[in-house]
Amino acid sequence: MVRRMLRSRSLKRSQKKVPGGKTVTHFRRRKPSIAKCAKCGKDLKGVPRLRVSELRKLPKTKKRPERPYGGNLCSKCMREVFREKVRK
Amino acid sequence: MATLTIGRIAMKIAGREAGKYCVVLTNPKDNFVQVTGPKVLTGIKRRRCNVEHLEPTEYQVKIEVEASEKKIIDVLDKEGILKKLGLKKPSPEVVKGPTGKDKKEEKDKKPEKTKKEAPKEEKKEGKTVTISLPRLGKKKETPKTEEKPSKKVEKKVTKPKEKSAKK
Repeated sequence: MVRRMLRSRSLKRSQKKVPGGKTVTHFRRRKPSIAKCAKCGKDLKGVPRLRVSELRKLPKTKKRPERPYGGNLCSKCMREVFREKVRK
Repeated sequence: MATLTIGRIAMKIAGREAGKYCVVLTNPKDNFVQVTGPKVLTGIKRRRCNVEHLEPTEYQVKIEVEASEKKIIDVLDKEGILKKLGLKKPSPEVVKGPTGKDKKEEKDKKPEKTKKEAPKEEKKEGKTVTISLPRLGKKKETPKTEEKPSKKVEKKVTKPKEKSAKK
């Protein structure tokens, strides 16, 4: 019988072959979804797909691109934002 | 529409300097122009920049090709563009500061001087310690802990001893 804590379906399961020949289920927390651009909905690059507890261990520069709206807008949308700002 | 020519004020659109204003210093050549904030003013350093990464504004200033940062700031201030863009004029002390090349030279020079000075002092210390060893015996440790004022005394004391030994 598995530990009660591990019976939750919010855990991801994977079947692994152990060196002894047995197949065993491993339990893992699910990854959060990929960060999206707030304007166009595209997947953002340079934003790690980690849980908050793991993100906390990273330096700030590894959590988002070093530019205005980094980690919030994709680079194309950011350019559009600034273009509009200038043209007004 | 505004074109990117000398003196045009533009906004950088790409990269970490995005959203900052800069002044175009040269006419475009192979899609590239020379650009500066100036750095004291907006934070954009003097650099080459792709035309596609710039968005020209309606403002233009009369400047020479690759004018100095100080002149650019003066011109911007005179034409009232600083106010229009909501920028603060930096204090004259900051603007007057040496240009990029001078700074590098100074940095190169300073460490050399310090390096030259430092080893000399060390040598002196070494001499005094070695000479004082036979005479002072147990008091080896005391001169090391005591700093500069003690060294002078040691030198004076040790020199006559050397002479006497040679004689």
